[in-house]
Amino acid sequence: MHPLPYHRPTSLEAALELKASLPGARFIAGGTDVMVRLKGGAPRPSALISLRGIAELTRSEVAQSARLGAAASVADLLAIDALREGWPVLADAMNQMASPQIRSSATLGGNLCNAAPCADSAPALLVHGARVVLRGPQGERVLALEEFFAEPGVTRMGADELLMSIDVDPPEPGLQTTFLKKKRVAMDIAIASVAAGLVMNDGICTHVRFAAGSVAPVPMRLPATEAALCGHPPTDARIAEARRIAEEEVSPITDIRGGADYRRRIIGVYVERATRALAARFEGSE
Amino acid sequence: MTYMGTSPTRPDAAAKATGRAEYISDAVRPGMLHGAIRFSEHAHARILRIDTSKAERIPGVRAVITAENTPEVRLGFLRDNLALKKGKVRQFRDEIAAVAAIDPDIAAEAAAAIEVEYEPLPAVFDPIEALAEGAPLVHDVDPRGRPVTSNLMPVHFRHFSGDVEKARAASAYVAEGEWSTPLIQQTCMGTAGCIAEFDPQMNLTVWAKTQIPFLAQRDFNGALAQMGLRNKNARVIVPALGGGFGTGLDTHCYEYISILLAWKTGKPVKVQYNRDQEFAYLSPRQSATVRMAQGCDRDGRLTFRHVHVVQDNGAYGSWGATYPSVMLLPATSLYRVPNIYFDCELVYTNNTYAQAMRGYGNPELTFALESNLDQLAEEAGIDAAQLRLINCNEPNEVTPMGLKVATCGLRECLEQTAERLDWDNKRGAPDGTARGVGMASLIHVGGSGRIYRSDASGVILRFDDWGNLYLSSGGVEMGQGLHSSLQIVAADAIGVAPDRVFINQTDTSTCPWDVGTHASRGAFTACNALLMGATKLRDKVFRAAVELYPQLVEEALRKQRKRDPDAPAPSFDWRSRIDADAFDLREGQVFLSNTDDPVLRVDLGKLIRAAHFRDGGGQMFTVEAFYDPPSELPDWEQGQGNMSACYTFGTQGVEVEVDTDTGDVRILKMAAVLDVGKVINPQILRGQTIGALAQGVGYALYEEVKTERGRILNPNFTDYKIPTAVEMDFPIELEFVETDEPTGPYGAKGIGEPGLVPTAPAIANAIADAVGVRIHDLPITPEKLLAALRAKNEEAT
Repeated sequence: MHPLPYHRPTSLEAALELKASLPGARFIAGGTDVMVRLKGGAPRPSALISLRGIAELTRSEVAQSARLGAAASVADLLAIDALREGWPVLADAMNQMASPQIRSSATLGGNLCNAAPCADSAPALLVHGARVVLRGPQGERVLALEEFFAEPGVTRMGADELLMSIDVDPPEPGLQTTFLKKKRVAMDIAIASVAAGLVMNDGICTHVRFAAGSVAPVPMRLPATEAALCGHPPTDARIAEARRIAEEEVSPITDIRGGADYRRRIIGVYVERATRALAARFEGSE
Repeated sequence: MTYMGTSPTRPDAAAKATGRAEYISDAVRPGMLHGAIRFSEHAHARILRIDTSKAERIPGVRAVITAENTPEVRLGFLRDNLALKKGKVRQFRDEIAAVAAIDPDIAAEAAAAIEVEYEPLPAVFDPIEALAEGAPLVHDVDPRGRPVTSNLMPVHFRHFSGDVEKARAASAYVAEGEWSTPLIQQTCMGTAGCIAEFDPQMNLTVWAKTQIPFLAQRDFNGALAQMGLRNKNARVIVPALGGGFGTGLDTHCYEYISILLAWKTGKPVKVQYNRDQEFAYLSPRQSATVRMAQGCDRDGRLTFRHVHVVQDNGAYGSWGATYPSVMLLPATSLYRVPNIYFDCELVYTNNTYAQAMRGYGNPELTFALESNLDQLAEEAGIDAAQLRLINCNEPNEVTPMGLKVATCGLRECLEQTAERLDWDNKRGAPDGTARGVGMASLIHVGGSGRIYRSDASGVILRFDDWGNLYLSSGGVEMGQGLHSSLQIVAADAIGVAPDRVFINQTDTSTCPWDVGTHASRGAFTACNALLMGATKLRDKVFRAAVELYPQLVEEALRKQRKRDPDAPAPSFDWRSRIDADAFDLREGQVFLSNTDDPVLRVDLGKLIRAAHFRDGGGQMFTVEAFYDPPSELPDWEQGQGNMSACYTFGTQGVEVEVDTDTGDVRILKMAAVLDVGKVINPQILRGQTIGALAQGVGYALYEEVKTERGRILNPNFTDYKIPTAVEMDFPIELEFVETDEPTGPYGAKGIGEPGLVPTAPAIANAIADAVGVRIHDLPITPEKLLAALRAKNEEAT
């Protein structure tokens, strides 16, 4: 690959100014998607602007709620005890991303900005109702993650904006979560994935969240599936209904990684397995 | 023997572990240019126009070549391929033009700037369709320009013995079916590449990632002649290889292109594929469809085997087109079968052309054979392990193909595999889980495979003045551990410490001829040659000792008396005349075999120096040996001939668990029992066999080069999946049966390929045992398995 002009600003302002002054330039963080695409013959940007030198983007604050730096590496995030303990489903999902080597370079912000339907972190963040904080010349704005993805590879972030952080609220009291990922071998992008969150009170599902990856143009919540369970006990009939609805709610495509029918079926199986596994965690505690 | 069966540190370990081994991707020559190739964008098209003017104008470009401005270089054993294509392209990866430039980026940019105008032609991608009347012809003329009327390749492998139709009619039970295997990639860790360089006399040196340096030399000399360079020579040097797996069995267009670019520019030119290019532009393993029927009598004795193979060859012939030569082994000789029909059709298509890979047709055929055998066992109501034991090959038998099997440990392999799997309790057990066990066996050439007039391997052995042994072999170390085997056998056979054995880099200018490192033959033939050479070399040393030993002992005694005047005299009269055969050599010490007096031991280096500097004419200690195994070049049309000096047998067993909701297959355990003749280096043998099992698991469950109308859809590890350590995280019980093969070096048989041969059918059989569903086309993906399970459930309701 021919060399490209490369800039490594150390402040947000400098990064945004560079972006404004260099038409056709592209932000780069971990580079695990951008560089692979460039080597694969994707259109070359006029320059690369690294976000790794900007402390505000690599810093995370995790306490009752979490503010995760968009340019923090996945490995650095996984090293935060409070994050693994408070939002285990996110840690599970990030742990299943690629390989240790890639996780030490790849960033959470990159995983989202790449806007792949298979982004592993997205379903987990959707279950927690995460928001993204964007910064542009006009200042900051906050978007629900659900609103962030527009279509495969495209976000609703402006060309002059960058992703600052991912904000996650404290989990619902008693929330139990899980992440299930269908892959061909251990190191693989998802063929289909489901993140689930459940709160049960007196045998009734009082808070239900499902989000799915690789089964629609963008990572998606499954509201109809959630509604099928919410307010009900997780009986076999209810779960079967939720499974049926989930299979209809997603809109997968067939590609070389898997067929649409197969992906639908896996989503159904995973909705059932996640529900049963999470409901079991409430048994005995009530 | 001191070192046979032990695992001294292999000679290349430190260099490879520290990154100092020089692979082709590391190699640099002074003034070297970088080559890039422009490949076809059509599966089948006429080339109307090639415009190289833009590419030529790019600064840093030194040459742009096409078929128009270079001599025609024809390659392939059928001579059906051209280094640079002329007239038309027949596959997506056809080489149309190439560039040499001062760096790889400029070369790639220039190759992309070449403009090619095509007229697309109707193409054919399915071998059955390719055989239909009126199908587009991939080659409309043969290499001599005579018109061709069919896509059938002019290659014939057949075998008929007994009366199959009569035997079928008389069989108590018959099972038949069709099985298919995909195109798969060899996925060597080291990708392909070469450097070509002409010296001022226009002799050529090629640093090549090859398994066949001497056949490559012949091929490259042929190219020099086609280029009009008469009486010139090609020298082939083999760098460290990051795996071969069959990719180095042929010479490749990219090698001839680098030769043409070097010739055009007068500079060394390197062509180096990256991973994407390796996937897209290097030949994968053939895909094959095998129709198989077998029958048995009421007692389970096999009555017949009927095999028809259709092999999609792709656009050009490589040695991979001779896969049926090895398919004949299991087809005729795995288990005892009296009546056999074997026929195959090799078909040109506009798919990527295929080449050799580990096992060479054997895994394809064994997948069908061993799957079909389980079906037959079910038909006959006989336990599948029992059926195999009833028909087991035995020592000292001659098979219908004429294979002379001397040693055969198959019975022990079958019995041990069954025991290790707890077969009797687990097979067919309706335990309420989706778990099952399966097994499959193999026969493979163990004493090289004669597919060429000479099946030989040469060795040159030389002692330097200090008793270091320098060993030159034509065999190629490609990671499999050949150099360790040579070191171990040399240490024991010659009598020097392993770390005093230095293996020279494989180079056609210094090493003796060897047909190539394939057919699991490397250690078998090279070590046999070494044993022959060892006898000669020791004889030379002992003949020198007859003359020089007394004076060397005298010197040693004089020194000893100086240190200790009271030292007792040796018990043996060393001044008397001693015959050469009274001497022995161990660990670099020459001594008399009938006494262990340390003062009578003479350092080998001292003896050699005494011989070298002897008054009135010294001598050197260099010998050569050439070993050609006792085997026959088969008559392929008849499928008859003892193609190997001996045969390797083995059985693999697998226990699996199927997730019936998702179709996921989890391997719980594997057992692999192999008749290896004799273990040379147990650590390397384990590594090589477990590596083969992993390749077998990949073949069974994950790997497939996917194509759409000839275009490869997954030329990368993102979508071409091989097993990782996680997929291989199950107990593997590995056992080696030692049958002590008389033709083998110290009893050893070839074992490079066999480890992957029966893995896929063992897994398929275990899945069938677990869930009652049989998948006939590899890989057995969760998606296929789930669809089959659902179809079975629908049938049941």
